[in-house]
Amino acid sequence: MKRIVELTINGEPRDMTVDTCRSLLDALRDDVGLTGTKKGCDVGDCGACTVIVDGEPVNACLMLAVEAEGRTVETVEGLQPGVDTLHPLQDAFMRHGASQCGFCTPGILMMAKKLLDDNPRPTNEDIRFGLSGNICRCTGYTKIFDAIKSAALEMEAARS
Amino acid sequence: MNVTAPIEEREFKIVGKSVKRDDVLEKVTGEAEYTGDVKLPGMLHGKIKRAATAHARIKSIDVSKALAYPGVKAVLTHENVPRVLHYGSPHPRSASCTKDQYILDDKVRFWGEGVAAVAAISEEIADEALDLIEVEYEPLPAVFEPEDAAQPGAPLIHNVGPGGNLVLDPVRVNRGDIDAGFAQADFVLEGTFSGGRPHPAYMEPNVCIADWDGSNKLTFRTSTQTAFMVRGILAEVLGLPLTKVRVLVDHMGGGFGAKQDCFQHEFLCALLAKETRRPVKMEFTRHETFVAGRSRHPCKVWLKQGFKNDGTLVARDMKLVYDSGAYGSHGPGVTIVGTNAATSLYRCENVRLEGRCVYTNTPINGAFRGYGVVQSYYALDIQMDEAAERLGMDPAELKLKNVVRAGDIAPSGHPILGHGLEICLQHGIDVLDWKKLRNRDRTPDPKHPHISKGWGIGCEMHGSSAYPGIKEQGNATVKVNEDGTVTLLTGAAGLGTGAHTALAQIVAEELGVRFEDVGIIHGDTDVVPWDIGAFASHTTYLVGTAAKMAATKVRGAVLERAAMKLQVTPGEIDLSEGRIFVTAEPGRFMTVAEAMGPSRGIPAANIVANGTYEPTKSYSFAAHFTEVDVDTETGIVEVKRVIPVHDIGRVIHPIAAQGQIEGGIQQGIGHTLTEDYIIDKKTGRSLNAGLVDYKMPLSMDMPDIETIILEAAPDPGGPWGAKGVGEDPIIAIGPAIANAIHDAIGVRFHHYPITPEDILKALREKGA
Repeated sequence: MKRIVELTINGEPRDMTVDTCRSLLDALRDDVGLTGTKKGCDVGDCGACTVIVDGEPVNACLMLAVEAEGRTVETVEGLQPGVDTLHPLQDAFMRHGASQCGFCTPGILMMAKKLLDDNPRPTNEDIRFGLSGNICRCTGYTKIFDAIKSAALEMEAARS
Repeated sequence: MNVTAPIEEREFKIVGKSVKRDDVLEKVTGEAEYTGDVKLPGMLHGKIKRAATAHARIKSIDVSKALAYPGVKAVLTHENVPRVLHYGSPHPRSASCTKDQYILDDKVRFWGEGVAAVAAISEEIADEALDLIEVEYEPLPAVFEPEDAAQPGAPLIHNVGPGGNLVLDPVRVNRGDIDAGFAQADFVLEGTFSGGRPHPAYMEPNVCIADWDGSNKLTFRTSTQTAFMVRGILAEVLGLPLTKVRVLVDHMGGGFGAKQDCFQHEFLCALLAKETRRPVKMEFTRHETFVAGRSRHPCKVWLKQGFKNDGTLVARDMKLVYDSGAYGSHGPGVTIVGTNAATSLYRCENVRLEGRCVYTNTPINGAFRGYGVVQSYYALDIQMDEAAERLGMDPAELKLKNVVRAGDIAPSGHPILGHGLEICLQHGIDVLDWKKLRNRDRTPDPKHPHISKGWGIGCEMHGSSAYPGIKEQGNATVKVNEDGTVTLLTGAAGLGTGAHTALAQIVAEELGVRFEDVGIIHGDTDVVPWDIGAFASHTTYLVGTAAKMAATKVRGAVLERAAMKLQVTPGEIDLSEGRIFVTAEPGRFMTVAEAMGPSRGIPAANIVANGTYEPTKSYSFAAHFTEVDVDTETGIVEVKRVIPVHDIGRVIHPIAAQGQIEGGIQQGIGHTLTEDYIIDKKTGRSLNAGLVDYKMPLSMDMPDIETIILEAAPDPGGPWGAKGVGEDPIIAIGPAIANAIHDAIGVRFHHYPITPEDILKALREKGA
């Protein structure tokens, strides 16, 4: 059975016609064409599909697309504040070598955004805990931690 | 020809700097296109029916219900696919692989092997159709352990190969006189060691898309480290010339060695697309990446070494048995490399080694970072620690005394040129004040009396390139465009290591242009020069040298063209930072753009050159120092600090090199403490094929890593002395942790993973 779902994706009103059994992840990737969000396991184990729904991080593979009706979804494609500008996290990830194969990067960026939105001055432990649902297999996390700390400082400086 | 000229010293402008990688902007914006992101018009979805038995003959397959299911477009079984015996891993010109596979066979050799494939208009319909395929099996007795498979009379898994379930004839290496060596020994240590079945668990599940055009040409998108090998074996098995197979791979979500086979699903995807005349996508579930992917070979090692009382090693006798799983894949290469590696690391003149690789009815083991050496060096390094204990010596001192030196014969059979292990070890000893750490107050912290702290050292060396198993060839094409920009064409895969950036840095440095002026074209076998694939820690060393050679050639041609325009001889001018100037009058210059562009009577031009490099091998080295906390109440081992000291010759991109080391340590901590892909030894079923039950170190588990890279021992075979770094870090961390656990609680473990249950059991036994 198909349904039309109206929602906001990265600030734009959208509607998608989806099977009721379709995950938000498959709907974003296949129906809307936003393939930045990745499918690493499809069972909620890896965090590669992390998106932000109404301000909360969600494994898009574990949420039905129909559940997103009327809600606001943010994906990695919406992270850039402008066409020629990057979010401080994106910039820091590039500078610090926090992205290797890059498959976990979109999910980790969204999780890190949520972390810094809630907690602008995270401790090392806050960052480790915040990323505990996101698997990265390339970096050993070291450079991801560095990038998030660096972005936090930059965002702090921009605010003051 | 190997380059043996002295290593050129120069003031580097681009090499050695962490320039912005060419691939990361797309990765942080979500624009990077991975194979699974591609959707072609009319595309079908393919799925594989997997056997629910470990060893059986297929009596019959009935696909009629599946074929009749609405939305199903094609079903393939062993009855309607070409029957061509082929290599699992198609390395060319090498003896490192075994020819033992059919696309589909009438026999099942492991639980989870594909027995049929379906193409349908959606993934869901394809999945549902799998359940409608009825397979009748005639069960065969199965063997799950190499010891059982090697017994006389054991059920034979293949009828190719030397027999007795051996994948290849035993690999034997003899140097010196083993009996004379043991006769000199003051004492002998003997032990057995074993390693589990760690899985690479790359983030991007295997995926491919096949698409045939009207001229019967196959365009094949796939997440692979070895695009040209996939092209070659697809063409061979499908009976096509290479001009009719084009393999495309842009970004890929990791591979760690395991994406260098041509997988069963890749052939099936191509055949389903051919049958339906529509593009077909096949994407593994995470479960399938375990069952139908490749893991590290479980290994049993018996090691006996003779020592003198001054710590000199006089004899080494070693037997290794690698579990290949149901097919050969990289078994031969792994056995040859892992066995030969044991000639080295710690010097010993009298060596006798025997490596075997045995088929079992378990999922296929293949290439994975460390390639057989993780297993053999785990045993060598731990036994060296035991020898130090027996001698009452500091293990650092004993290791320093015995590590290989420059000029020693490497596992490859040639003398080591760039040698850095001694320097790495000494550097770590100095920066950590190791003696003080050894002699520290060991009274437990009264606040945490159940925590025992320990420090350990692990050493390793690893070759860049697969020589002598494979005589490799690296290629690069460099074009200087009319506007002075440069295009580098490379067949090397972009696994995510930053290799393409390093290649572009090398070209920019050698040519004398800015890094930003170099564009990189890769990932299309119809366009880029042939490449052997990204493996064996060799891309920077092998393809980097080829790129440098090509850049040298175009530089000469650009200078000739500029000399003509400046009306001087090429010897009078130089090129740096995009400017060509008369050496004697630096004010007289033109840009590369002006040299290449049009001027009166001279049209614009494009200068193209190729570099081809066929090296032997260099060796990189590392000593890892680690601190662990062992919780004697729970048995949990927490790795607190790792100080990896690496020598990788000239560093091209420091941040990318550090990233390789830190990621390798993460995977090494994993296989040493928690990661083991478990196969039920009664049925052959996978017990933990998922990312929750297969436990990897994540953000909460990672220690502080204080990476130290020394450029102590450049090798003349690499660009300005650069050597590989990809595999090294995963090798040394394992024995470092095992040795640190011994330092903490006084118990020796000879296996990995070392689980909390193992720790508690050992402590109980020790207490008793």
